[in-house]
Amino acid sequence: MLYEFQYVAPKTKSELLALLDRHGDSCKIMAGGTDLLVDIRAGLRKPQVLIDIKKVSDFKPLSFSEKEGLLIGPATTCADVIRDKTVSREFPILIQAAKQLASTQVRNRATIVGNICNASPCADTALPLLCLDASVHIVSKSGSRIVKLKDFFTGVKKTALRKDEVVEKITVPSSMAGGRGGFMKLKRIKGHDLSLVSVCLVKKGSLLRVAIGSASPTPVVLKDFPAQVTADNVADEALRSVKPIDDIRCSKDYRLFMIKTYIERLIEEC
Amino acid sequence: MLENTRREDLTYVGRGVDRVDTLEKITGHALYTGDLRMPGLLHAKTKRSPHAKARIRRINTQKAERLPGVHAVITGDELDNRLGLYLVDKHVLARGSVRYHGEAVAAVAADTPAIAQHAVELIDVEYETEEPVLDPVAAFRRNAPLVHPDLGRYNYIKEVFTPLPGTNIANHTKLRKGDIEKGFKDADLIVEREYSNPNVQHVPMETHVAIGQWLPENRITIWTSAQSPFTVRNLFCHAFKVPRNQVRVFVPYVGGGFGGKAGIGLEPLACCLSRKAGGRPVKLQATREEEFSLLPCRSGLVYKIKTGVQKDGKITAQKMTLFWDAGAYADYAVNVTRASGYSAAGPYEIPNAWIDSYTMYTNKPFGTAYRGFGHVEVSWGVERHMDFIAHKLKIDPLEFRKTNALKPGSLTLTGETVTEHTGNVTRCMEAVSREIQYGSLTKAEKAREKRTGMKIGKAVVALHKAPAMPPFTATAVIIKMNEDATVTVNLALTEIGQGAYTAIAQIVAEQLRFPMDRIKVSLDSDTDKEPYDWQTVASKGLVLSGNASILAAQDLLKKAYETAGQVLRASPVDLDHDDTNVFVKHHPGKSVPFSRLAVGYAYPDGNAIGGPLIGVGQYIAQGLTNLDKETGQGLPALDWTYGAHGLVVEVDPATGEFNVIRIASAFDAGKVINPKTTRGQIVGGVLQGLGTAMCEGYIYDESGRLMNSSFTDNKILTAMDVPEEMVGIAVETPQIDGAYGARGVGEHPMIAICGGLGNAIHNACGADLVHMPIRAEDVWRAIHKIPEPPRTGFLRGKSCKP
Repeated sequence: MLYEFQYVAPKTKSELLALLDRHGDSCKIMAGGTDLLVDIRAGLRKPQVLIDIKKVSDFKPLSFSEKEGLLIGPATTCADVIRDKTVSREFPILIQAAKQLASTQVRNRATIVGNICNASPCADTALPLLCLDASVHIVSKSGSRIVKLKDFFTGVKKTALRKDEVVEKITVPSSMAGGRGGFMKLKRIKGHDLSLVSVCLVKKGSLLRVAIGSASPTPVVLKDFPAQVTADNVADEALRSVKPIDDIRCSKDYRLFMIKTYIERLIEEC
Repeated sequence: MLENTRREDLTYVGRGVDRVDTLEKITGHALYTGDLRMPGLLHAKTKRSPHAKARIRRINTQKAERLPGVHAVITGDELDNRLGLYLVDKHVLARGSVRYHGEAVAAVAADTPAIAQHAVELIDVEYETEEPVLDPVAAFRRNAPLVHPDLGRYNYIKEVFTPLPGTNIANHTKLRKGDIEKGFKDADLIVEREYSNPNVQHVPMETHVAIGQWLPENRITIWTSAQSPFTVRNLFCHAFKVPRNQVRVFVPYVGGGFGGKAGIGLEPLACCLSRKAGGRPVKLQATREEEFSLLPCRSGLVYKIKTGVQKDGKITAQKMTLFWDAGAYADYAVNVTRASGYSAAGPYEIPNAWIDSYTMYTNKPFGTAYRGFGHVEVSWGVERHMDFIAHKLKIDPLEFRKTNALKPGSLTLTGETVTEHTGNVTRCMEAVSREIQYGSLTKAEKAREKRTGMKIGKAVVALHKAPAMPPFTATAVIIKMNEDATVTVNLALTEIGQGAYTAIAQIVAEQLRFPMDRIKVSLDSDTDKEPYDWQTVASKGLVLSGNASILAAQDLLKKAYETAGQVLRASPVDLDHDDTNVFVKHHPGKSVPFSRLAVGYAYPDGNAIGGPLIGVGQYIAQGLTNLDKETGQGLPALDWTYGAHGLVVEVDPATGEFNVIRIASAFDAGKVINPKTTRGQIVGGVLQGLGTAMCEGYIYDESGRLMNSSFTDNKILTAMDVPEEMVGIAVETPQIDGAYGARGVGEHPMIAICGGLGNAIHNACGADLVHMPIRAEDVWRAIHKIPEPPRTGFLRGKSCKP
């Protein structure tokens, strides 16, 4: 679908917030553009104004401190995360999942915040962030608020974000640093593909947390488990918590089977 | 054309020389149709049907026409020209009704693609939807709604095809060999099963693109990404009733064809828009989504195989019924039906055979040629069937294949006698079997199973294919010598990535005894400049154009010798040459350089003899016949290329996920002209075969709408999916009439990979699969015997039961 739209790239946060306030529904925020531009080409979205946030200078880049935990900026790409030594040491699960997102070329563009804001049920980086108890920091002209990631997703491609708001950062508490786990994703090919179903498990101290993708309208995080929980208990809880569908990628019964299998294998491995 | 030359006597043929188009392609200097710009160029977009079957009540184009920047809007009502390769059943734009989701009903040419797109959105079409026919077996039923009620009025090639008016059968190919009743009576075991596969897209890197310019007095020029410039010209002139010399078709570099660009595609529409826009050139380039559903795909297939065998493993009879899902138009599908019909049994001898192969019209995107031309699809079932029978008989599947393999003295399905020169499929099977250590697991493989919990299975499958082409298929090559004794070779076989031009350059270099750097094969094709070639299809280029280039080189030398003979006062029989001079054999000092003969020899006083040296070679297929329409008997095959694959696959016995560890492939290429490009064909073809086997295929909803017309849900393999190891092996049984003994291997690497994968998976974990592609989910269902919901099965191209 070819049409003309306005492209703006604000340099500051206040400029960005003013633009959002002015254009509201008719604009769309673009970071990597790897979902948005595909949707525009397919005619699924038709924003009149495209606001590129990559040039906003007062947004924070990727960083980690004991006090604030891991901070992921709005322009932090999957490749940034994958390359980062601190993330690799403290939150390796995030890298495992980010490496499964699409292809090298897309990972060079796609941002973590964009992956979250796109709110696809199959968002690869959502699962580790849910397991790591991430928070979404939202700003608008009228103020700022913090939403837990598990409350941020409200439906298929729907979030708690209002039209004048933008995600300023995602944070992961330092209490989850050093957590270990695994990420398993069912794909149709070994090259880039969306997950047909995916399971992420993170263990930290006495806590075990599991998140599941492509099995409900949103990525789902299960209730907290003690680290010594059995696979059967987790699987039972998982099958109670998800509502997979039959679609052209996969059948419901195979999704359910693979969730159970991945949980068993992750608990055995981790 | 067997040259009987020992390998060590050959300088260029048989060597792994680099491709002649490498530098231009890797530097980005190679120009493709999409790169071309010309003054006044307009851009076109099409309005496409949102329904699989509907009457077109009304099309309102007024708003589109009024949009600034729009130069032409056309609908089917204005174009009463029909297109068709073998059965003339398709209008340039839908007229009166639409027959598949995605069919073009109107088109716009405008200053920019964006304006054209906007104008398309302003076109208002009113449809009256009708119940579509989506299943090829349901389409066969007596009271099925008709996709082409006018079938009886269409023109078609009567010697070859049999459409049945009043039905959805675009062609019925029959094959009757021996006594089928007696064959089944002689059998100890009869096995009957059904197999199926969906529509598949070719996915060339370059999508279809055409630029058309229709000037006053019907002077027409077409620049196109087509495989076959002369076929584009021929079909275009047929449809529009213009003389052949008024239409010039120009094909620059082509970014992959795989059969999808074999016939005619977007060219007529681009030209009609140009005519309406006052002769301005119009470019029409398909989007990737349009590749899937505006342009044709590979036909789906649902088929039954019934085989009688004796306890010792000898096949006594085979009956096959094939329903090809050709979609809305016959295009190449009628010939796919025919060609795969006459070789449907695979490279095995069937003494008593009965085959009915039907091309079924349905309301789906239409089928066309696709690498393998039906053999990929049919071999899936045949190779699964062979293993199934062998297991029933408790005979090793490879032994069972060898027992029944075609060998000297065997009669093919059409009654052709196999000779010792035909090729050797048993040697191919033995070569791959050795390569994968068939029959048991190696120590390393056992350790791998233990380490991973995966189960490893191996399989050997065999294949054959002959070029599917008219028995009188012809080509010509022209070699022109330049002033400096370099040569330029002209031919209309197109270079679509297969390496043909490199092989032709090697053959010409060998014949002329000139170094490769003095041979230029003109890399684009132009019907005004190049001599005729039928099509770039069917793996026939090396045999036909290879022979024509040998003849052209010999003709060029003959003409050089004629002039040299006068200069040297010697008879041509006493002459010989090296890369620089023509000389007298017994007085090598008496010589004249080619450079002084190239454009005519001039004596010191200015007197001249000879003239520009031009060699011409024509070659036409020899000794072939049409097939008898009642029995399918005759001689259809220019040559048979045999091959075999050995696969090593590991399967997760719980989840059905699998990895292809190793594939070894062997082909009886007759004579390998270039080992590097042959390996390229093998690797590319095997991977394309794996894509078909593992993940590709159209999925429809109940109304016939294509659900996966992009790479989001129509996956193709990537570099990450390449097997851990791939081996290519050449067996060389020279083809008597092949250039240096060569046969084509372009399509063959893709054939039988599907069956090989299915059999290896079965041998690993017991999963019995009859539908491809084979997804992990399908293996899981087969292992655990969990049936697929019938709805999703149907939408993926499995048949609903008649």
